Amino acid sequence: MHAILVQIQVVHALVLRETRTRFGQNRLGYVWALLEPLLLIATFALLFAVFGRSAPERMPTVPFLATGFMPYLLFRETSGRGMHAIEANRGLLFYPQVRPLDLVLARVVLEAVTNVLAFAIIIVVYAAYTGQTEINDPLQVLLGLGLAAGIGAALGLTLCAASVFSALIERLHGPLIRPLFWFSGLMYPTGQLPLRYREALTYNPIVHAVELTRTGYFSGYRADQVNLAYPLMWIVALAFLGLTLERAARRRLVLT
Amino acid sequence: MITLHDVSKTYPTNHGVNVVLKSINAVFPERQNVGIIGRNGAGKSTLMRLISGSEQPDAGTIIRRGRVSWPIGFSGGFSGSLTGEENTRFVSRIYGMDIDLVLAFAYEFSELGDYFQMPVKTYSSGMRARLAFALSMAIDFDVYLVDEVTAVGDSQFQKKCRRAFDARRDRATIIIVSHDMVTIRSYCDSCAVLRNGHLVFFDSLDEAQRVYES
Repeated sequence: MHAILVQIQVVHALVLRETRTRFGQNRLGYVWALLEPLLLIATFALLFAVFGRSAPERMPTVPFLATGFMPYLLFRETSGRGMHAIEANRGLLFYPQVRPLDLVLARVVLEAVTNVLAFAIIIVVYAAYTGQTEINDPLQVLLGLGLAAGIGAALGLTLCAASVFSALIERLHGPLIRPLFWFSGLMYPTGQLPLRYREALTYNPIVHAVELTRTGYFSGYRADQVNLAYPLMWIVALAFLGLTLERAARRRLVLT
Repeated sequence: MITLHDVSKTYPTNHGVNVVLKSINAVFPERQNVGIIGRNGAGKSTLMRLISGSEQPDAGTIIRRGRVSWPIGFSGGFSGSLTGEENTRFVSRIYGMDIDLVLAFAYEFSELGDYFQMPVKTYSSGMRARLAFALSMAIDFDVYLVDEVTAVGDSQFQKKCRRAFDARRDRATIIIVSHDMVTIRSYCDSCAVLRNGHLVFFDSLDEAQRVYES
């Protein structure tokens, strides 16, 4: 019990510290971190408008894109920043109660909060602008986002611990994550794909996070092959692997 | 009290495994200041990191009773982009201390003045060490692990550290590593020599010096 309290204390201190180092000394840094996902979504909304594409089944474009992009970004940012947690904070491991796991957790928490906040801003601004305030099942939206962050956290921990053993690991992240931008149903509902492709895509756990977020947001949105167990299984498997590697990495880490 | 039982540590290098510590057994009793003397590269800092718990031994166990500091004097553990104050806040948080008390003490003790509000990367190594020392004094440790105390600040600041340690002699233990017998003589009651991965204890400082210099 005491150990858990110490860990909460440490992660809390790390989050506050990370806020400083990540966003710099002035508040504009944090505004910029929030703006990044907003700009990305705005760009694609603009492209949709320019090419005369609209979201399928008369779904409004901005929420459609936001419910696709935000789970993906949550996954990308938590895993990417988590992966570099040791590299960026090696000096802090001199304090015996700070462990690699804490460094990863602190970064994941900060990225998750920032991106969920960005999502909330998009939805609120959109609702204020259009007057459409209805969300089918807000809790399920949070569940979808949480799954995406969970997969990202577990993958980030695994890659972070593995990178202690091999410098090659860090190079894997980009090639692994970037294709998922096209194969996670960000810009199309997977239900409209031909069956063959649809089935192939369901092996991608991010698809489930995206579609759960969407079915939570839009009433009447259907995603038949989506389930909760599959992405949860990824989280459990990756977390197990990551925690095991982290244990091994602690012994292997050289602090000088 | 700190007990080491068959503690070994190796590091992988480009040309094979470097064995730093070979099956070390040691007992550091309470309220007894112990010096550990050894040449550069003998594994003194490694031993300190193992005792503090920031690194793990390859084999053996280390039992710590009471609150053990991180290896002090070493200036790592600070983020260069953060100010002395921000670093102080972080450290007092992870040790669950009252932030305002620690801030006031560290500001006063470190004598950094306006530099306390400046990024640590603008500090000289002496200033960093002063901050590290002040911080460790603000947190009440039962065991202070001091790595090369001679590196910390000028002679005036060293006197101040001296007084601070004397003031808590009845409740705190100090373990100092150094390559310099003068440092150890001024702080310690007994001394151990670290050589070739082995740690040998001596009750008399003269005896330890004789063995170290032989």
